[in-house]
Amino acid sequence: MTAVLTGTPVPRAAGKPRLTRWVLRLHRPALYAWAGLLVALTALLLGLRGPLADAAAEGWRQYNSCTGTARCSYDQDAIVRYKDYYNYATVALNALPMLVAGWAGAALVGRELESGTALLAWTQGTSPARWLAVRLAVPAIAVAAGAALLSWLHHLAWSAGRGRIDTAKDWYDRFTFYAGGPTAVVLALAGLAAGVLAGLVLRRTLPALLVGMTVTAALRGVTEIALPHLWPAVTRVSTTDQVPLGAGLGVDEGVITRSGARTPVPACHTEAQCRAAYADITGRWSTYHPYSHHWPLQLTTSALVLAVAALLALGSFLALRHSTGAPRTTEKATA
Amino acid sequence: MSSDAALRADALGKRFGRRENWALRDCSFRLPTGRVCAVVGPNGAGKSTLLALAAGLTAPTEGSVTVLGTTPAAARPRVGFVAQDKPLYPQLTVAETLRMGADLNPEHWDAAVAEEVVAGGDLNPKARIRSLSGGQRTRVALALAVGKRPELLLLDEPMADLDPLARHELMGTLMAQAAQYGTTIVMSSHVVAELEDSCDHLLLVGGGRIRLAGEIDELLAAHLRVAGAADATGLGAHTVVESKVTGRQLTALIRPAGPLSGEWRAFAPSLDELILAHLRNPGAPALPERSAA
Repeated sequence: MTAVLTGTPVPRAAGKPRLTRWVLRLHRPALYAWAGLLVALTALLLGLRGPLADAAAEGWRQYNSCTGTARCSYDQDAIVRYKDYYNYATVALNALPMLVAGWAGAALVGRELESGTALLAWTQGTSPARWLAVRLAVPAIAVAAGAALLSWLHHLAWSAGRGRIDTAKDWYDRFTFYAGGPTAVVLALAGLAAGVLAGLVLRRTLPALLVGMTVTAALRGVTEIALPHLWPAVTRVSTTDQVPLGAGLGVDEGVITRSGARTPVPACHTEAQCRAAYADITGRWSTYHPYSHHWPLQLTTSALVLAVAALLALGSFLALRHSTGAPRTTEKATA
Repeated sequence: MSSDAALRADALGKRFGRRENWALRDCSFRLPTGRVCAVVGPNGAGKSTLLALAAGLTAPTEGSVTVLGTTPAAARPRVGFVAQDKPLYPQLTVAETLRMGADLNPEHWDAAVAEEVVAGGDLNPKARIRSLSGGQRTRVALALAVGKRPELLLLDEPMADLDPLARHELMGTLMAQAAQYGTTIVMSSHVVAELEDSCDHLLLVGGGRIRLAGEIDELLAAHLRVAGAADATGLGAHTVVESKVTGRQLTALIRPAGPLSGEWRAFAPSLDELILAHLRNPGAPALPERSAA
């Protein structure tokens, strides 16, 4: 690629402007860094799915077969190693949208506007809108493809430990949830759009980096709050002498009184208080999402985030149009 | 009607921010094609804003600007622009920068012209832009703009970073370009001397308004520098741009409305004197060209 690009300029008689190759050339370091990160995380996730999960599962098997008093030997290192590496991979996937937002705000757009190279690009043979479209589309493809691969591998790695490793995270652990599904992909895309918009509006590298990351983190926070309400939850009822029913992503829970009314869990501090408070209670209820809701919740959250990403991208085009002002000029010149 | 105008502004105005912060206001002029036009004015006069409006990089707040008979956006492929700080991608080499120019201007890229401009500066094509001096960067930026073979070339303070030799040489390249292809060149500067020999048209911008617009020869012919006794009379019939009393002598720059009385000695003003007199006296009536001419 380098040899082609550094060759002597050759006049081209006709054809379309080639913007894509120049986005790739200008952001080659970022492309290489992304490729490196993909390779490293792929290796880590494949390891987690295979040997690391197997070793940890064997450790737990040994531990669980230990009998009370006898000296117990089990592979604790394997268990700890699996847990640590799983956390590294999960944190990396959770941080990805913020990373993309910071890069998009700073390097992709903010720096171009700050240093004025955007003006250079906008005064070539292509329109600013095209410049922006390519700067959104090319990274979006790279980010979406990479994040899709990583989140799929993460889901496989998580599935490999499920039921075999006692310390494996539940599906509703929020970091696991946002790492192992389409939400990871769409949040990264939303981060890209947020960074681009921040860069276009603020026109400076550092503020765009910070605002892009903050907006993306806020979007993630909002989806976490909304998550339990994005799919109809189920309610289970149990009597007081049963263990509470329903393990999953909890939405709400409470107690059932003798009259059948569902109320929140009463607060009590002393034994006498509690005895009085629970005297009238016959059972418990809990509203939650069972594991079968994992994919519906992933998909509804993804749709929501994708809609926000589309709005942010639309906002970028409007911000660009506002600053370069093509339509207003057209209107007046043709009038 | 406007097909022979390279650049035309009608009541053009640009305000930054919400407050009454006008960079340019009520700006009307018409620049015929094939001219080499100097946009002169002090720092902050609105020269860069005017060029950015013409290049379609910013939207007018009021009025309109017409470029090569169409909108700045539609004229984009036919207009070359070099911004004041000569932005270039620092991570690219000189050769890559020109290659990018070829790729982004596929219909009308002239590699030979671009390479000629770069070659004049003895630049290594493999040198990264970030390693170049200010003057060398100017050369690459100009090569990129000229290689586009534009019909209108907008240059914002193009020669500021160049030593006199390079300035002379590059100006020669630009003039040859203008002569060969009939390119209209608009270049801004606050140094009048660097433009006087090459330009035939003047736009004097001061305080966000057009103070003078027209062919330099006609503008010079429309003004007189006069000297006389401090108590002499008879200037009232003419437009006095500037007058100054030193001792018993009064000198003035006027726009004569008719014959001058015999008490006055008249001289042809230099372009420098004309420009300075108008800039020092923002209250003097402007002489904008009739835009419908």
